[in-house]
Amino acid sequence: MSSDTPAGRRFRVFRRRRSAPSRLRRRVGAVVRMAAALALAGGVYTAFAPGALAKDTPQLSAAAAEGKALFDNSCISCHGANAQGVEGRGPSLIGVGSASVEFQVGTGRMPMARQEAQAEEKPPQFDKAQTKQLAQYVQELGGGPQLPSGELTVDLAEDPEALARGGELFRINCTSCHSFGGAGGALSSGKYAPSLHDATAEQIYAAMLSGPQNMPVFGDNQLTPDEKRKLITYVTLQLQQDKDPGGLFNLGRYGPVTEGLAIFLVGITILVFTSLWIAGKS
Amino acid sequence: MKRRKFDVAQVPANVGKGVDDRFQAATPLRGLLNKVFPDHWSFLLGEIALFSFVIILLTGTFLTLFFDPSMKEVPYEGSYSALRGTMMSAAYESSLNISFEVRGGLFMRQMHHWAALLFMAAIVVHMARVFFTGAFRKPREANWAIGVALFLLGFLAGFTGYSLPDDGLSGTGLRIASAIFLSIPVIGTWASASVFGGEFPGHLIIGRFYIAHVLLIPGILLALISVHLGLVFKQKHTQWPGPMRTNANVVGERMFPRYALKQGGFFMAVFGVVALMAGLFQINPIWIFGPYRAAEVSSGSQPDWYVMFMDGLVRLMPAWEITLPIGDGYVIPPLFWPAVVGLGALTTVPMFYPFIEARRLKDKASHHLLQRPRDNPERSGVGAMAFTFFIIATISGGNDVIADKFHISLNAMTWAGRIGLVILPPLAYYLTVRLCLGLQQHDREVLAHGVETGIIKRLPNGQFVEVHQPLGPVDDHGHPLPLEYAGWVVPKKMNRLGALAPAIKGFFFPIEKPSEAPVSPGMPPVSPREEREEITTGR
Amino acid sequence: MTVMKEGAHGAGTKPVDVQDPRLSRFEIVREGARRDDIEIVTYESQFPTPNSKAEKRVVRTIALFFLLSGAAALAFLGFYIWWPWKFELGNTSSDYYTVLLGVTLGVSLFSLGFAILTWAKKLLPHEVSVQDRHHAPSSDDDRLIAGQTMAYVVDELGVQRRPLLKGAIALGLAPLGLVAVAPLVGGMIQNPHGDDDPMLFTTGFKPRDGELIRLTREDGSPIRPDDVSVGGQITVFPGVPHGATNEYADSPTLLIHLRGGDAEKARAALDADRINQGVMWGNYVAYSKICTHAGCPASLYEQQTNRLLCPCHQSQFLITDNARPIFGPASRRLPALPLEVDDEGFFVASSDYRETVGPDFWERP
Repeated sequence: MSSDTPAGRRFRVFRRRRSAPSRLRRRVGAVVRMAAALALAGGVYTAFAPGALAKDTPQLSAAAAEGKALFDNSCISCHGANAQGVEGRGPSLIGVGSASVEFQVGTGRMPMARQEAQAEEKPPQFDKAQTKQLAQYVQELGGGPQLPSGELTVDLAEDPEALARGGELFRINCTSCHSFGGAGGALSSGKYAPSLHDATAEQIYAAMLSGPQNMPVFGDNQLTPDEKRKLITYVTLQLQQDKDPGGLFNLGRYGPVTEGLAIFLVGITILVFTSLWIAGKS
Repeated sequence: MKRRKFDVAQVPANVGKGVDDRFQAATPLRGLLNKVFPDHWSFLLGEIALFSFVIILLTGTFLTLFFDPSMKEVPYEGSYSALRGTMMSAAYESSLNISFEVRGGLFMRQMHHWAALLFMAAIVVHMARVFFTGAFRKPREANWAIGVALFLLGFLAGFTGYSLPDDGLSGTGLRIASAIFLSIPVIGTWASASVFGGEFPGHLIIGRFYIAHVLLIPGILLALISVHLGLVFKQKHTQWPGPMRTNANVVGERMFPRYALKQGGFFMAVFGVVALMAGLFQINPIWIFGPYRAAEVSSGSQPDWYVMFMDGLVRLMPAWEITLPIGDGYVIPPLFWPAVVGLGALTTVPMFYPFIEARRLKDKASHHLLQRPRDNPERSGVGAMAFTFFIIATISGGNDVIADKFHISLNAMTWAGRIGLVILPPLAYYLTVRLCLGLQQHDREVLAHGVETGIIKRLPNGQFVEVHQPLGPVDDHGHPLPLEYAGWVVPKKMNRLGALAPAIKGFFFPIEKPSEAPVSPGMPPVSPREEREEITTGR
Repeated sequence: MTVMKEGAHGAGTKPVDVQDPRLSRFEIVREGARRDDIEIVTYESQFPTPNSKAEKRVVRTIALFFLLSGAAALAFLGFYIWWPWKFELGNTSSDYYTVLLGVTLGVSLFSLGFAILTWAKKLLPHEVSVQDRHHAPSSDDDRLIAGQTMAYVVDELGVQRRPLLKGAIALGLAPLGLVAVAPLVGGMIQNPHGDDDPMLFTTGFKPRDGELIRLTREDGSPIRPDDVSVGGQITVFPGVPHGATNEYADSPTLLIHLRGGDAEKARAALDADRINQGVMWGNYVAYSKICTHAGCPASLYEQQTNRLLCPCHQSQFLITDNARPIFGPASRRLPALPLEVDDEGFFVASSDYRETVGPDFWERP
C-alpha cells in the first residue's frame, strides 16, 4: 500500500539490502543446521519419548495443517519440532501468536538468512496465503495475540480527531526509536529500528502486538485496538501518504544532518561556482 | 516679474550642489567611488555570509509579524489536521500558523532557516580562506578576532532561533541547554534556574530567547559586521602576489562601476539560491515534531549543523565524572568539559592565533599580500588539524543517523569518533606539512629547470632526456638561470605558457589559473601599456 | 582654484585642471582617481569596435535575462495569488505552493543576478587600477600630540594629585555600577533551592498529604499491572493535576514489564543495592525517563538486550543492573521509582525517587 506513494518511492533508495551469503556458505550452513537439528531432534525425542507419545497431537484445522507442512520444511531447524524452540538457535513459538508470524514472515525477516543480532527485512519467502497458514499453525499450537479482522485504520470522515490522537500516541510511544518522520533510527551495537515508510497497516499492528526483536510489546491493554488503529492511521496517512508541503524533496526527514549536508553540497557549491565565474576573466 | 525657466538638465547638478553645501559630501564620495578592490573568487566567500545575513534580517522581520513568543498552552485549531485539538504552547501554535495559515509563510520560514544555515556555512568557508592564506596577519588581527566572535554570535543566534518554535525537536535542544547550564561547577543550578526562571522548562524561556534572537544578538551581530566591513574598507583588502602587486598597493577594479555591479549581481545570486533551496528542500518540518513534551523524543535528534560539533564532542566524551569528597560530595559532570569548556575554548583560542603566530615567527611587519597555503606549511598544518577536529566532531554530532543509514554499529561510530579525534588531527598536520613542502619543492624545481614539455630527446651518446622549457633567460649553454620564487603560481604545464589549449575550459578556469594574465615570476611585470589608447566612456 | 594634491602614485598621469572645459568626462574621472592615488592602468572596452556584433549579442543576452527575471517574478505573483495554498491532507496541489514560490522567485533573482553580472563582466570595460595602500602609521608628530593631549587631560583632572577624589570616585561610582547590574541580576536570579520542595530533588511522585501518587498515562488514566504486556513498556506520569505536562518535566517515567528471567536478574541486582532495595513490584520496574546526562528522555527500550538508549548522546543503560550506564557519556545510573499497587489495583509510587532525577549538577549529594 505504501510502496507506490511518493514517500515510499523516495525511501526505497535507503532500504537495507544485504548481499546473499555465498553458495558455499549457504550449503555448509544448511548441512550444519541439518546435522544439529537431527541431533537435537533425536536427543529431544529420546528424552521425552514417552511423554511425547502420550501427548495428544492437537487437532489442526486444514489451514494449520498446511502451515505445519511449511513449518516442518523451513522453520523446524531453528524453532524445533512443534515450535518448541531450539536452545541457542531459535526461540519457542508457543504463545507468540499469529500476529508475530505474520509480521516476521510477512516482512521476510523469517526465515533468517543466518544467525545475527537482528533479522533483516528482505523480500518475503512465503506468499500471503502461506504466511496465513503458518500463522494459523502457530496460533493453534499455543495461542497468543492475533490480528483482528476488519479495517486496521480509522475512517477520518467518521472520526476526524483520530489523526491527531494517533499522532499524539505515535510521538509518545514510537518516535523515540522510529523518529518523528518514521525514518527509523539506530539502536545500540548495530541494532536499529526500521523505517516505517514501507510498513503496511497489518505489519505495524502485528509488530505492536508481538514486539518483534527488540521492540517492546504494546499489548491491547496498553494501547487499545482503537488506539492502535488511530496510530496506524497517523502513520499511513500522515507519514506515508501525505506529500510534504515544504518542498519537492524532504531530505529523508532525517533532520539537521541532511539539511547541513544540503547547505554545503547545494548552497555553498553553487555559490562557489558563481564566484569562480564572477572573478574569472571573460 | 519674470518666472525663471525650469531647466530639467540642471536638476542633478543643483541637487548635488545643495547636498554638498549642507553635508560636504563630494570629497568623501569621491574616495568611495574610487576605491580599488582586488578581484579573486575566494574574496567573495565572506560576501555570501553578508548577503545571507541581509536575507535573514528581511525574512526574520516578516516572521516576527506573526510569531507569538508565549508558552501559554492553547488548543490548536488550524488547518493541519494531524494536530487539531492538541494542546500546545502559543509559540508552537503561531509557528504552525506561519507555516499553514499565512500565505507564503512556510516559504518565508524556510528561506529564513536556509539563509541561517548558509550564513554559518559561508562564515566557516570564509574563515578557512582567511586562515590558510594568512590574511589574518598584522594589521588584521582584530578583524580576525571579530570574525571568530561573529561565528560564536551566529551560533547563539542559530540556537535561540532553533528553540523558538517550541516544537519537539527544539524542546529537546532546550533541555540539553539547561543540562549544560546545570553542569557548570558551583553556580550551575543557580545559572539554570535564573535563565529558565525556575525549574526547566518554566514559562519564560521562549520569551527570553525571543528578545535575544530578534534584538540583542542581531544588534551585536549588526554592529560587529559593520566594524568588520569598516575595517576591511579602512585597511583595504589583501591581495594575492603577482605582477605589479606589492605590499603597498591594491591592484584591481575601482568600486564603480564594475566592482559594485558585480556585488549587486552576486547578492541577487545568493538570494536566488536561498529562494531555490527554500522552495525545493523542506527544512525543519515542525508540524511532524509535535509540541514539546518532556517525555517525548525522537531518534536522530540533532542540532543544526553548526552546533553539531559541540553535540558531537558531548557524544564522544567518556563518562568521566569528577567527584570532590568535601562534605556531602560535589560533582563535575562529564557534560561540563565538552559543552562549556570545549565550546569556550574552540571559540576563543582561535582569536589569539594571529598573535601566537606572529610571536613564534618574530614577525612584526604588516602584510597585505596573501601567502599560498604551501608557503607556510606549519600554519596550513595547524589549520588542517583544526578543521579535521571540527569535521570529526561535526560528523559525530550526527553519528546515529550515519550508523543507521550506513549500517554501522552505533557504538563503533562512537569509538571511531573518540579514537579519530585523538589520532587524525596530528596525522592531518603531518600530511599537510609534507604536502606543502612537496609542493614547494616542485615549484622550486620548475623554476630551476623549466617546464616539462613531454618531449623526449635522444642524445648522441644514446641517453634520453626530457626537454624542459625554461621560464626565464638562459645562460650560454642553454641552461635556465635559476629564478626566484615570487609567492605565486608557477606554470607547470606547457598549456599554461600558451603552448597548448587550456586543460579546463569554461568559467571555472580560475581553479587552474589565476585571473591575472602573465603570472610567471620569470616574466617581467606587465607595464602600463602606454601605446594603447584608452576608450573613454562616451563624449 | 583646484588644489593639486601630490599623490605618491599619481605618477602615471599628470595633474590636470578639472575646470578646463576641453576635458572629456573620462579625463575628469581619471583625475579624480589620481587624487585618490589610483592609477588606471588599463581601461579598455572588451569589444574591438563600438556596436560590434559581439557586443550586441551580449546586450541581447542581458536583456533576455532581465526579461526572464520579470517573467519569473510575474509567475511568482500569479502563483502567490491564485495557487491553492491552504494545507490539505494527502498529495494535493497545495503541497506545491512553496515549491512554486521558491522556484519562481529563485529563477527571478538568479536571472537578475546573472543579468547584472554579465553586464559587469562582459559589457563594462576591462579595468586594471592600482591604488596606493597608505598603510604608513600616523606621523611621529601626530602620535606625540595625541599621546600628550591624553596625558594632559589626566594631568588637568589631577586625580593623581588629589587622593581624596580618587577614593571618592571609587566609593561613589562602585555603588552606582552595582545599581546598573542589580535589576538585571535581581530580576533574573532564582534560588534553585528556595522552595519547600527543592525543585531539583523532588518530582511529581512525591506523596501529597500522605496519599501515594498513582502512575498514569498521558491522558491521566491510572495503570493496572496487566495493562503492560511482558516485554512491554509504557511512559507514565504522576497522577496529579497537569502531571503529564511540562509542569512536571522531570517526572516522566518508564514502567517496564520484564520477562521472568530478566526480572529475576534485575531484582537480584536492585536488592543488592543499598538505595534501590525493593523498588520492583512483581516483574515490573520503573526508571526515570530523564537521562542523567543531558536530560533527554532515555526511552529507546530494547526488550531483548534490556538496554535503554538515549537518542541524544547515545548513553546506554542496563535495565537488569540498576540501569547502570554501560556506554556513552552518562556517568550516573537512572533513578528507580519504588512501585506498589494500591487497594484498587492501580500502580502507585511508594515514595518519591530515592535518587536525584535528571542531569547531573555540582551540589547533587
